[in-house]
Amino acid sequence: MRSPGRRRVVLGCVSVAVLVCFYTLVSNVGRLVDAELLPEAFARLSRPDLLPPTQDIFKAVVSLVTGELPPMEGHHAHPSGHVSQLVEQHVTLQGALLASVLRVLFGVAVGGPLGILTGFVLGWNRTADDYLHPIYVLLRSIPSLAFITYVMLWLGHGEAHLLIPIVYAVFTTVVIPTYHGVRDLAEVYVRAARSLGAGGRLLFARVILPAASPAVLSALRYSLIIAWMTTVGVEMLMGDDGIGHLLVGGGLWSSRLQIGVDPAVIIVGILALAAAGYAMDAAARIVSDRVTFWARRRRAW
Amino acid sequence: MVAALRSIRVRRGLVGLLALLALYGLAAQIASGRLPTRVSLAKHDIEGVELLPTYSSLVEEGVFLVQAGILLEGAAVSTGRVLAGLLLGSVVGIVLGLAMGWAAGLEYALDPWVVLLRFTPALALLPLYVLWFGLGEAAKVGLIATAVAVVTLQGAYQGVRGIPGVYWDAAAALAAPRSLVLRRIVLPSALPQILASLRIAIALGWVTVIAAELIKPSMPSLGYLLALAGAYPRVPTIVIALATIALLVLVSDGLTLAAYRWVTRWMRRRHA
Repeated sequence: MRSPGRRRVVLGCVSVAVLVCFYTLVSNVGRLVDAELLPEAFARLSRPDLLPPTQDIFKAVVSLVTGELPPMEGHHAHPSGHVSQLVEQHVTLQGALLASVLRVLFGVAVGGPLGILTGFVLGWNRTADDYLHPIYVLLRSIPSLAFITYVMLWLGHGEAHLLIPIVYAVFTTVVIPTYHGVRDLAEVYVRAARSLGAGGRLLFARVILPAASPAVLSALRYSLIIAWMTTVGVEMLMGDDGIGHLLVGGGLWSSRLQIGVDPAVIIVGILALAAAGYAMDAAARIVSDRVTFWARRRRAW
Repeated sequence: MVAALRSIRVRRGLVGLLALLALYGLAAQIASGRLPTRVSLAKHDIEGVELLPTYSSLVEEGVFLVQAGILLEGAAVSTGRVLAGLLLGSVVGIVLGLAMGWAAGLEYALDPWVVLLRFTPALALLPLYVLWFGLGEAAKVGLIATAVAVVTLQGAYQGVRGIPGVYWDAAAALAAPRSLVLRRIVLPSALPQILASLRIAIALGWVTVIAAELIKPSMPSLGYLLALAGAYPRVPTIVIALATIALLVLVSDGLTLAAYRWVTRWMRRRHA
């Protein structure tokens, strides 16, 4: 019998290969077959301005990574305005990704500790929780992308007003799991520690902190994805660099939505976003598994 | 109501909120006349901006926005979009999630695509959706639906995978037909997880709609109201729009939480 792990890999690869082949075929059908011969629904799909052929996507990757336009050849090969504009502005894919990843890391580095601290205070101190929890819920209800213009009025157009929504999004995400991790701590642990004379710093360092750490780490890991989404959002709305800027070119307002985006660039951007997001999440998973190896859950199935 | 006020938690919560509101009013009163009224936007400076609007100007602006029909209509239109996206996205997400949790083959085949979508911020799809679905309603609702579907899919999937193996074994041993397994085992055990993911999805839907409404913006909509108020800039409108969105998020979250509590009422709650 084949192992389920192998079956997973095989089926996954087959599914990716089949869809990529199918897509390549569909997106190239206009070049291979005379459009007149196709049924109408099919003919509508073969539009390179909507579904860029796979090879064009590869060319866009090459142009965006190397920062050079491919040499002209034939009538199909000329790059779109979007790509050449990005190349002219010296925007590269890796540069944009780096800018975005740095913003995400900043958001987690600043918003994470703030959220953890708040979660601990609310989770541990019942009185503080009573007073502050409604305020937290109110605060959390404001979508991070909604107040970006307001922050800009205070701070001007710069880096700070891009970072604040990311920090805020991470903060509000981290608070709740930390809060539950601390509050729902099994009472026996605390009682046992107390009855053995532990209190104050010892109780915190040896009981509460370790017991809450799986919740905190999974919160931080989840906040990475939230920060990633927020980063792309703020960059699309107001960024001057980063992957969100690469997608729509600086401000959703002024934007390329009218000038015409190149779907190849968007698809490249999305693949890069997913890859970077996956990599960050995998790194976070490895770290948190290492740290909380003792809390590994028994699989339920 | 009176009974609720007797609870110390409720009273303390109210005190906290009232203190926040009072502090804001105080800060706005002190700040009016002291804060700079000149702000610099991306390309130019603008005079006469009230960075921290006082309650009186907020009330004035609020009355104007309500009377002009901008606020309520906008709230209705935006809520409609979120709901449409939520409905479409959660149906797709839940069905796919349940199917993936049930059938391993399907899970393995779809897994790469789910991972791809999971780590792609839904907003990044916005330009693509505009190209594919045009500048109309379909792109906006589609964007929200995508964001919602990804989250609810994971919830439904984890709900099914979390079902203890004994249940499956028992059903198999008793030769229960698939429809019975679905009705009596899969749905009831996955429902709490699905509703929990729906709560996240609603919050995400509200974040997404703000940006989605910048696609060929048109007026009754909260996203465009916010953007327009930011472009002028008109801070009282921004604050009121933010408060309205926060209120709508709170209400929708409260409703989902109530549904969650109702569905999981058979689970014994442990009070910490």
